[in-house]
Amino acid sequence: MSWLAGTFSGGFAQRALLEAIMVGGLCGVVGVHVLLRRLPFFTMALGHATFPGVVLAALLGVNLFLGAGLFGVLVVVLVAALGARERVDDTSAVGVVLAGAFAFGVLLLSAQAGFAKDLTAYLVGSIVTVQPADLATTAAVAAAVLAVLAALHKELVLGAFDRSGLAALGYPVLALDVALLLVVEVTLVASIPAVGTILAVALLVAPAATARLWTDRLGATLVLSPVLGAASGVIGLAVSQHWRVAAGATIVLVAAALFAVSLVVAPRHGLASQLRAGRRPAAARPAPDRAA
Amino acid sequence: MTELLVDPFRLPYMQRALLEVVLLGVLAGAVGVFVVLRRLAFVADALTHTVFPGIVIAFLLDQSILLGALAFGLLTAVLLAGIGAHRRVGDDAALAILLTSFFSLGVVLVSRARTFASDLTVFLFGRVLTVDRADLVQTLALAVLVLAVLAALRKELVLRAFDPAGAAAMGYRTVVLDLVLNVLIALVVVAAVKAVGTVLVIALIVVPAAAARLLADRVASMTALACLLGVAGGWLGLATSYRVSVDHGVRLASGATIVVVLVALFLAAASAAPLRRLAEGMVRR
Repeated sequence: MSWLAGTFSGGFAQRALLEAIMVGGLCGVVGVHVLLRRLPFFTMALGHATFPGVVLAALLGVNLFLGAGLFGVLVVVLVAALGARERVDDTSAVGVVLAGAFAFGVLLLSAQAGFAKDLTAYLVGSIVTVQPADLATTAAVAAAVLAVLAALHKELVLGAFDRSGLAALGYPVLALDVALLLVVEVTLVASIPAVGTILAVALLVAPAATARLWTDRLGATLVLSPVLGAASGVIGLAVSQHWRVAAGATIVLVAAALFAVSLVVAPRHGLASQLRAGRRPAAARPAPDRAA
Repeated sequence: MTELLVDPFRLPYMQRALLEVVLLGVLAGAVGVFVVLRRLAFVADALTHTVFPGIVIAFLLDQSILLGALAFGLLTAVLLAGIGAHRRVGDDAALAILLTSFFSLGVVLVSRARTFASDLTVFLFGRVLTVDRADLVQTLALAVLVLAVLAALRKELVLRAFDPAGAAAMGYRTVVLDLVLNVLIALVVVAAVKAVGTVLVIALIVVPAAAARLLADRVASMTALACLLGVAGGWLGLATSYRVSVDHGVRLASGATIVVVLVALFLAAASAAPLRRLAEGMVRR
């Protein structure tokens, strides 16, 4: 335990710790909705597409959220427009737009000096250089997102399970969908200092997927997922400081490890218990009745 | 025109780079046809991320990166089949977790080095201008191998793409065919790593083939067109990045420029496609 405490003395380490907890927790909560609505692929694409928006915004000195957000919207529109054409299927459309947007972002960055360092920071994060301003932004985003999710909780959940039911009840289904996509986008951008754009999808998917292996109830998932996310952040950060390796990537590895372990040991949904269940019915079979 | 398309390639290193992207254009274009026909863009993208740690490990251990990439490619195929089938974890979530965790492993390994940022950048985005003769030979060998396999299995692969049930019913081992395609994709990633890096190789695979799909009706013509577009994108991209860097002092990463050119070609094809169908309609009448 003192090893853990020792790791987090020093200004930058404490800031990194706070950022890791906030980002992990936020992504955990939003991730539950990402899974409910089967958005991992889209979130992956959004993360890739957000990258040039972030670069552009940073180069132009514009607010990162604005730049990234606008670009995200642009990408969504492009993908929808391309995918609607008869000979371009959805996956290829996303592939093309993704590749183009990403290359564009790299191009923009490569034209600057100090290219490699900035690129790395945007791609895989740079949590140890987090500034107090970044912390304040993350906190503000987390508060806003949680408020929105809490306010729209019933509608969002219903919309995920029964879209036509929601529409029949008179709710603006499309507006709610868009609201959630915006929440995901904003969460992605807030996660960049911690884990970068490519890895942010891991924090949005893994803790929630892990939580789903342990509980069937949505309420419990919404509590367990952010806990797992924050835990991944803290443990990952500590390990990365100890081994002197990239922090963002280590955080993701911890989240993935938690998922992998849960895949095996979780009661009821884990592989180990399913294998055991396969044997139980046979043992429960009554002995053959010799009296007949 | 010649100033753009020919002059840059008087220099030996530019000639090698050109040869490399031409070979890659053909290789990736041909494989890309099946990726696009089978809507495997996401799986192909996942593969480019998951073979990355294999390449890093092999590089750190001074082993063949080909072997490293193949090992991890096979591992991915197995894990994909296993996790995706789990009830509580959807295909999408499984893929996303697999992709990012493998990628993170690669990043962690690279980050042990002092020159982390630049090393990572080279792995992810390539450095085509540093291609040497050994790289060219390897790319050529891989291209010959992959194209030979595609040619030998083209009937089966096409059948699998358009009629999976029929292919299975006819007794073709679809699992083996899928594995073969995954391995071919992994080989393309290895071939492309030095030129455009693991992140951009997906563009070389998907974009020319997607553009060819818009303009061609038959697999044969689609393949030819995909290869042609791949080569054109490589040539034009290299030439453009050279010209802009030399004439205007703006350093443009070559790999990224190639991808942007390919996407531009795709958009051109997307706008030309309706016109082509119109012309066809008129000819038929």
